[in-house]
Amino acid sequence: MDALIVVFVTGLISMFIAMAKKPALVLGTAVVGLSVAITLMVRQWYVPNPIVNYEGLDFNKVAIIFSALAMSFALLIIVGGYDYFKRESEHTGEYISLLLFSLVGAMCMVSFTDLFMFFIGLEILSIPIYVMAGSRKKDLRSTEASIKYFFTGSFATGILLFGIAWIYGATGTFKLDEINMLINEGTAQGTLLNVGVLMVMASFLFKIGAAPFHFWSPDVYGGSPNIVTGFMAAVVKLAGLFAFMNMFTFTFGDLSDLWVGALFGLAILTMFVGNLSALRQTKFKRMLAYSSISNAGYALLAIMVQNFETVWNLWIYLLGYGLSIITLIVISLVVDNDSDDIEGYKGIGRKNPIIGFMMVLGLLSLAGVPPLAGFFGKFMVFSNAFDQYPVLVIIAVINSGIGIYYYLKLLMTAMSKEEDEEVATLKPSVLQYAVLAVCAVGLIIGGMITL
Amino acid sequence: MELFSIPLIFALVAAIAPKNVVRYVGLTGAVASLVATIIRAASFSPPSVVSVFDPNYILPFGLTFKMGYDGLGLFMVILVNVMVTVILLSNLNQKTASERSFNSMVLLMQFGLLGVFTAMDGIMFYIFWELTLIPIFLIALWYGAEDRKKALIKFFIYTFVGSLAMLLSLMALGTYAKDFSHESLMTVELSAKSAFWIMGGFFLAFAIKIPLFPFHTWQPSTYTVSPMAGTMLLSALMLKMALYGMVRWMLPIAPEAFDDMQCLVITLGLIGIVYAAILAIKQSDIKRLFAFASISHVGLIAAGIMLWNKEALSASFLQIANHSLVAVGLFLAAGILEQRLKTRELSSMGGVATLAPKFAFWFAVIGFASVSVPFTSGFIGEFLLLKGLYSFNWIVGLIAGTTLVFGAVYTLRAYQRSMFGAPKIEAFKDLTWNEMLSFFIITVFVVILGVYPQAVIDFVGPSLDNLFQSMQADNTLVP
Repeated sequence: MDALIVVFVTGLISMFIAMAKKPALVLGTAVVGLSVAITLMVRQWYVPNPIVNYEGLDFNKVAIIFSALAMSFALLIIVGGYDYFKRESEHTGEYISLLLFSLVGAMCMVSFTDLFMFFIGLEILSIPIYVMAGSRKKDLRSTEASIKYFFTGSFATGILLFGIAWIYGATGTFKLDEINMLINEGTAQGTLLNVGVLMVMASFLFKIGAAPFHFWSPDVYGGSPNIVTGFMAAVVKLAGLFAFMNMFTFTFGDLSDLWVGALFGLAILTMFVGNLSALRQTKFKRMLAYSSISNAGYALLAIMVQNFETVWNLWIYLLGYGLSIITLIVISLVVDNDSDDIEGYKGIGRKNPIIGFMMVLGLLSLAGVPPLAGFFGKFMVFSNAFDQYPVLVIIAVINSGIGIYYYLKLLMTAMSKEEDEEVATLKPSVLQYAVLAVCAVGLIIGGMITL
Repeated sequence: MELFSIPLIFALVAAIAPKNVVRYVGLTGAVASLVATIIRAASFSPPSVVSVFDPNYILPFGLTFKMGYDGLGLFMVILVNVMVTVILLSNLNQKTASERSFNSMVLLMQFGLLGVFTAMDGIMFYIFWELTLIPIFLIALWYGAEDRKKALIKFFIYTFVGSLAMLLSLMALGTYAKDFSHESLMTVELSAKSAFWIMGGFFLAFAIKIPLFPFHTWQPSTYTVSPMAGTMLLSALMLKMALYGMVRWMLPIAPEAFDDMQCLVITLGLIGIVYAAILAIKQSDIKRLFAFASISHVGLIAAGIMLWNKEALSASFLQIANHSLVAVGLFLAAGILEQRLKTRELSSMGGVATLAPKFAFWFAVIGFASVSVPFTSGFIGEFLLLKGLYSFNWIVGLIAGTTLVFGAVYTLRAYQRSMFGAPKIEAFKDLTWNEMLSFFIITVFVVILGVYPQAVIDFVGPSLDNLFQSMQADNTLVP
């Protein structure tokens, strides 16, 4: 809880410090604030008898590891994107503080015990992102992304609220444990509840960008500034997937006959839509968007398996996925081509071998090549699901096989020998090198962490 | 531990060493690793299982990190170290040798290969198996021929999809076993149906890597576009991972499906032997010719392994060593021809023998080993394998026996077209010292194994007995 407050206050402070028009100061505040928050969160892990329940927010051990992960991702993204923020020095503070506010929402979404807190968390998470997506005001695509995300997002929120209302109508409570108990006892079965659950599910599928609610995500990912794309793919998806799991695997677990069948089909659809569409993309961020759709499909496997290992599997999965995305986004910031064409990445491995090495790590981790973190995440999710859904796992593995094609094409473009005419070497800043180094270490040893 | 750390450390050193000495850094790494292996081998008594790395730490999903070797593993480890040393030595005067990334990648490849052959945990095996794919892919991508991209995408996707099938099999096994260590996986009791699918997954991965008949289409184009050292690594070492994997993982883990698979694999092997040999005869590109020859030879080894008795398996290991030696020798010869004549077409070669007598001599020696002339290692290996196949079924033996005839045809045709006839070229630089030394080392091994093959049979025999025993202890397949 104290970490949540620290993040929020840091966001406020950096917004006001921004008036001094000193980007470095804002960055310093954000880094210090986030570091303090992460330390507090980690310390919470070792407190013997913590007061975990704050009526609506519950920072238990699961919430601690997920929010620590979200904060670390946000820290990496803010530090890695600093050179981008700095370009418009009068807006630096706004960018960073909006990201921090959004992070506050993410932290609510990994610790809620109450549908009401969940809704508030979701809104705190989303509204700054609507603004951030449109922050390149003169760029039409950025504006389109913002409008599109805002309208579709609001619509999904509406459906979510409607669903929550139906659930409330059936159970008479917002509290997850009471809902779970009522479902368990069988007192709260019925059409009212089922419709509510399915509506909530639809809005979740929208948030994590699963088919058939995925159409916004290529446009929004492609149009937003790179740093916002990274934040959406890493942090927003983390919060969305965790909340999805918390709600469905654990709270609505007894209703699994109702939603597992639907999720089964949608997971298959999501994987195929994501991977097959990604094959033909020529834009880097649109490819990442489709890749993230297919990754949402793999993560749905973790949600469908109803045992407690699935929490840890999802964590490792999101660790590998988030680090890969952050690596690729930082590389795209370094490359900095406005057109965002994949061709623009030609020969970057020759121009700067370290960037090339990181590109290899990031892409292979996304593709699930061992011994990188992405492999362990996928392996744990798949092997945990194998017992219950062997067919689904086989389809997921086939999809990994399809996925390797577009990752490999990008990899070959990046590592190819032919130089462009202009032999501009890529010069990442020290901060970007630092972020890449952290990501490299995380990608190499991240999968072997145990707690 | 020093077994793996030496190549890895030298790979890192080679990545930052100055350009004019980097070729010697690479070679030193390979030699150092070879010396470390010899020290290990000297203190090894065949049937024992030596643990190399066991941190007693199990990840939640059952990864145990166990590494170790018995006679089979150590045999392959020695083979890897010898072959990498020879490959780097023969490559010293090539353009690629002065590249940091090239030397680094070859040593990384060596690290991965050593891991594959010493893995005692299913997931570790998979991890190292995939790790070897990256360096060889990058070597071919950076230093390959002009038209490499399409071939390499095909190669990567083919092998990666095969590995995914193996991964599925491992996941399926994971639902039965308590962890992924070799012992636990071996004790798993499977129903015939699930054993068939699990073995099928392993088989797909191995059949693509070997490659067996319908899965071989990536191989000739990839061998052709890779640089000389890349082709050597692929043919001499990488495909041996799959043959070793069949002996170590596929059959001992899911022996319940052995009867269903035996005929299938032997048939595919036989088709490969004949089909690839006929294609090899028709090739005009010397590298493609040797690539098809390689398919033909390994088809025989795969069929021999599926006989699953001690004699055939020992002969398979002998033949694995022989094929590595011969493949390196033949691709070295092809590489020398390509480098000096700037072409791979047999029709535009000819008369090299008069210009480069030393090269002609050594190429002939390797050629003889390739067609299994007595007193070369190929003779004993092929003879024992054919004998095994003949006693399995005389028709099988007869068809497999054609490999001797076809082998002579395509090898001698390649030799004759390139070395004899009217000279179509003015000058041909004869062998340099390092190429000569490489040929010499290969020949020494070929002759030693040809005269005293019992050394290999004694080396792997006790470990094979061990393997059979532990399978007998909990399973039905009695050799």
